[in-house]
Amino acid sequence: MKPDYQETLIAAVDTSTIKIGETSTGIIVAIRGATTWKQNGSYKYTRLGPFIFHITEENKNQLYNTLEHAYFSTTYGSSHQAAPNVMQMPTRLASLLERWLQTMLAKTINHGVLLFDGSLTSGTIDTPVQLLKEILSYARRNKSTVLAFSKATTLRANGILITEQLPNHDPPYLIETTGLHSKLPLILLGDVYVARLNKANFAFRLDIDKETPIEQRMAAIQKLLGNDIYTQSYPETLRLSHILCTFTANEVIAMKHFITRKHGIQIIHRPDMHKLLFGPFSKGEIYS
Amino acid sequence: MKLYKKEGNILQIISFPAENAEKGDYLLVEDQDAGKALIAQIIDVQFAAVPGVLEELLRTFPDGGEPLQGEDIDPMEIAPHITYIQDASLLICKIRATLENEMLSPSSSWLPSRSQSTIKKLSIPMLMKLAKNDGKLPIMLGGTKDSALLTIDASAIDGTLNIITGKKGCGKSHLSKLLMVNLVGYKATVVIFDLNGEYSSLGLANDGKRNIYYDKIHTLVPSQNFKVALEQLPLNTVMGILVNALHLPGTSAREFRRLWKMLKEKGKLNMQELGEAIRDLNCNQHVRDALASRFHSFANSGFFTDCPGEATLLDDSILKSKDIGGAIVINLKNTSNIDRQIVVEYVLGKLVDSLSNWKLKAVFLFAEEAHLYLRETYWDDIVTRMRHYGIFTTFITNQPDTIQETIYRQADNIFLFNFTNEHDLDVVSRAARVDAETVRSIARDLPPHHCLTLGKVVSDFPIVARVRALDIKTLGETRLFFNTN
Repeated sequence: MKPDYQETLIAAVDTSTIKIGETSTGIIVAIRGATTWKQNGSYKYTRLGPFIFHITEENKNQLYNTLEHAYFSTTYGSSHQAAPNVMQMPTRLASLLERWLQTMLAKTINHGVLLFDGSLTSGTIDTPVQLLKEILSYARRNKSTVLAFSKATTLRANGILITEQLPNHDPPYLIETTGLHSKLPLILLGDVYVARLNKANFAFRLDIDKETPIEQRMAAIQKLLGNDIYTQSYPETLRLSHILCTFTANEVIAMKHFITRKHGIQIIHRPDMHKLLFGPFSKGEIYS
Repeated sequence: MKLYKKEGNILQIISFPAENAEKGDYLLVEDQDAGKALIAQIIDVQFAAVPGVLEELLRTFPDGGEPLQGEDIDPMEIAPHITYIQDASLLICKIRATLENEMLSPSSSWLPSRSQSTIKKLSIPMLMKLAKNDGKLPIMLGGTKDSALLTIDASAIDGTLNIITGKKGCGKSHLSKLLMVNLVGYKATVVIFDLNGEYSSLGLANDGKRNIYYDKIHTLVPSQNFKVALEQLPLNTVMGILVNALHLPGTSAREFRRLWKMLKEKGKLNMQELGEAIRDLNCNQHVRDALASRFHSFANSGFFTDCPGEATLLDDSILKSKDIGGAIVINLKNTSNIDRQIVVEYVLGKLVDSLSNWKLKAVFLFAEEAHLYLRETYWDDIVTRMRHYGIFTTFITNQPDTIQETIYRQADNIFLFNFTNEHDLDVVSRAARVDAETVRSIARDLPPHHCLTLGKVVSDFPIVARVRALDIKTLGETRLFFNTN
């Protein structure tokens, strides 16, 4: 593949969530989303949040449904599913924000390349089929192409991860996969490729909307190569989205400060049972 | 503010931006349960090691290198809290004292509670009150950062050795003038070795009119209105000049002493007779040549006269100052190096003489750039022997390494202005009454006209103050070629 330097808007979305602490009735989480785009040679961003939620067993369903309705003016059936565990709620709320940001990009950007984090697999509790279909259809309507990069994949061919079977060919290149079948209720709304964008020894799973014509898919990849930086075979715009929405330690301290000062909520410091029981042998600790 | 660490006599305190703590400020770390409090001074302000700050700074730069531009939509207004945490500072504080039952002690051996201690700023007036630094002879030195006045007591300068130092143009002379006029105001006798002729105007206000000190300022210009007749000179003083200022060898000195006594007995002690006696002296040629060359130095200085009417008696000025106070300004501006040493030897000898005869109770001596006229052996003499006579010296210099280390070790008070040079700071930090960290950290950042006061005058609590303005006509400003006025 060859880079196409025709100026094209490259935009990316990512969201992040973090547990701030526990209260006597639930957990406090923060969610933040970021959209990044490269235009006229420079990167710009819009960052939303942090949004802080106090999630309890009592309010979790109401909270999710209210937000889903507020974002999409409809519910995609997730409310009928089994109520998630409180601990799963942060991821679900972050997914909700991510889908909304993706919708906004798909609706507003024309002739662009939209970079999503993850795959185009739908039918999960976080990604209803109808919602993802709508997002892809908005993008197609605006002549934009959705490219979804997964940082990690479990897909294997002949027992080996698809991202580890790289041909002896100079990058950049795409490897098309065939014969992939998802198990219901999961539905793949994209065709799966392995993308190696430069000589760095990394390749990523890349999903491209099934309904996008082959020529448009290839043109989108070449425009991405010509307009974005991809030092580790990963688009810089998407990397920035991820970096901008991630919470740093000082932000967590600041949010704890905000919660205590503004709302007078006391965060409970529960003892870390791993550390308490296993001491230096608890997971996550490395001692030389 | 929160107590974070204590190592030796250093406290580390976490402070937030709104608390506005700066170098030089005093803090009271109070542990109510222990019934004690630590008094600590901030000697450095650093960023607190807040986790994640590096990531926060790095993420604003993409791979391209240009800073990221964007918009943050923050409906819950968390950003100010993030800034608040990121800008938290770590105050490095030196423990100065422990306060217990309203009594101060220099101890720092106890540990206040980290969780229960309260930390608040301690104002300078309150600190001085706690230190019982409230004498009856106040000298208002200037204002501190928090608009409080720093007042020292004149009695804390009495009997002490003081140093005023800092780099050029930062206000050393201004402070010495302030101290002088206040001492004169308290009827003290002050003698100034004025190297640049800038103290003659102490009696004039900025507008050139006479001020309240006018009649108490006696300016003596060597060889102009300040001359001495040989017959007024005690032999010891003359020998001091010959040996110390003019380096007369021992054998020649003995011959001179004999000659002097002979002329005195004959009642012919004047320059003309002395010259002739040396010329006619029947002795070794080298001795005669040595005496002749010293005599020519005497004659060329213009400081000695045979006309008693021309001679200005230093005694007169001392006498005038004795009861009502006064400043005797010895203007050495246009005096050559040798003549300067002759004059200084004479003045010091005369002062010791007056003090030992109780003609004077004590004298405050201000010596500017003393290395230019004070022989080496005099340094120790001034801080030991002469102090016992009642000469209390204040050295003023912009070259701290010209003052001997022993002087720093014995200095009771140091008024330190800005220095950026490490070597200069090292020299000053040898002073016994202060720790090197305080000097290095605080003096480096002092703005012009701000002085770090150390020692007895501030009860050993180093205090930074902006030296107040004086309504005194300024002389001694550097003459400029490109001056447009």
